[in-house]
Amino acid sequence: MLVDKIEILQQAFPHLMRGAAVTVRITTFAVMIGIVIGTILGLARVSKSKILQGVSKTYIEFFRGTPLLIQLFLLHFGLPNIGIDLGNYLAAILGLGLNSGAYVGEIVRSGIISIDKGQMEAARSLGMSYYEAMRYVILPQAIKRVVPPLGNEFIALLKDSSLVSIIAVQDLTRQGRLIISRNYESFLIFSAVAVIYFVMTFMMTRLVNWAERRLSVSD
Amino acid sequence: MIKVKDLHKSFGDLEVLKGIDEEITKGEVVVVIGPSGSGKSTFLRCLNLLEDITAGEVFINGAQINSPQANINEIRQNTGMVFQHFNLFPHKNVLDNITLAPVKVKGVKEKKAEEIAYDLLKKVGLKDKAMAYPSQLSGGQKQRIAIARALAMQPEVMLFDEPTSALDPEMVGEVLAVMKELAHEGMTMVVVTHEMGFAREVGDRVLFMDAGVIVEADNPENIFSNPQEERTKSFLAKIL
Ligand SMILES: Nc1ncnc2c1ncn2[C@@H]1O[C@H](COP(=O)(O)OP(=O)(O)OP(=O)(O)O)[C@@H](O)[C@H]1O
Ligand SMILES: [Mg+2]
Repeated sequence: MLVDKIEILQQAFPHLMRGAAVTVRITTFAVMIGIVIGTILGLARVSKSKILQGVSKTYIEFFRGTPLLIQLFLLHFGLPNIGIDLGNYLAAILGLGLNSGAYVGEIVRSGIISIDKGQMEAARSLGMSYYEAMRYVILPQAIKRVVPPLGNEFIALLKDSSLVSIIAVQDLTRQGRLIISRNYESFLIFSAVAVIYFVMTFMMTRLVNWAERRLSVSD
Repeated sequence: MIKVKDLHKSFGDLEVLKGIDEEITKGEVVVVIGPSGSGKSTFLRCLNLLEDITAGEVFINGAQINSPQANINEIRQNTGMVFQHFNLFPHKNVLDNITLAPVKVKGVKEKKAEEIAYDLLKKVGLKDKAMAYPSQLSGGQKQRIAIARALAMQPEVMLFDEPTSALDPEMVGEVLAVMKELAHEGMTMVVVTHEMGFAREVGDRVLFMDAGVIVEADNPENIFSNPQEERTKSFLAKIL
């Protein structure tokens, strides 16, 4: 009996690992998109331009105010309907990345506004432009403050990425479900899937803690 | 050197400066005193455009700074500012705090900027703190570094907004000593302070501000011993 279960797991393991690799890859690309978009949105939010502020705010509100699943459906099923076919992987990466960008944008914004306004004034009083003050004075300090919330955001993103299994991406969740459809061992396989997700988020937590310690050496 | 003509500043509906006319000559040390909320900081901050000016004109070296053609960043390089709460950059050590702006803004070579920084550190008596971070310094030390940082841009004017108000009493002296030395070297200075001893000893002129106007301006001797205006008298009676 136990031997049977071990054998089932052994058979499932390579498939699950392949799925986990897809999960990691999709999440990594989505994180990169999220950081780029989020940084732009965050900077736009604190800029003096009302237009940039408005665009950024609207973006953030839209992506935070609608379900990620619907955003994925829009990209995967909606776009082909109007003649744009991204394919399921690209739709998954883009969906997760665009969505994450909204949350990262909020994090970047709050990181920047948490820096005492005397810092900007001191930098400007020395003759720095807004851009120079941001680059050399404000952002280096803000980065330290955003690492913990960004880490949490990306851990959440890794977990949310299981939704892409619904648009036929062969990620960890989908691999698990495929195996179950053959052997009906849903308790065993979903447990294994959960453990693998947990190991991944656990390692990410360690990584974030390490980055946090590295960044705080100077104060 | 600095000329202010009918300067007005409002925050929304609140008019904080109600028409200031003032002329500050090269090498002059002008001390600004007055009750809280009278507009002293706002006046000072208008001189380097940290506040945008609602109406009126400010000239530095003959050039109007609040005109659309004026280059704000260039003007500010020429007017150093020292803040009540120091505003050192906490993520940079003392040396980098001082060299950052000369290197990034003026394009001074790193090595040259460090030489200048060490000279300034010597001047403010903190040569041994070059590698320290701001969080490792006392308030008095922080403020002396902030002065050195402003001086590194080699400004022609230095603006001080209550530079000793956030300090423990025993540290006030060391900061005032640095400012005194600066004054003796002929630096043009505008100083908002409650240190009447400093005003008397170092000031060439004292401006008494109240409710957004300069009520009285004269040499320290006259202001402190023989004030003309009722409002000046009652303010001095309260603080002396
Ligand atoms: N950014 C701002 N927005 C709105 N009101 C402001 C702002 N800055 C200053 N004020 C108001 O302007 C008035 C003058 O302020 P200011 O800081 O110039 O006074 P002060 O003479 O420097 O006072 P203190 O001695 O307390 O520093 C105050 O009533 C203050 O509340
Ligand atoms: Mg003030």
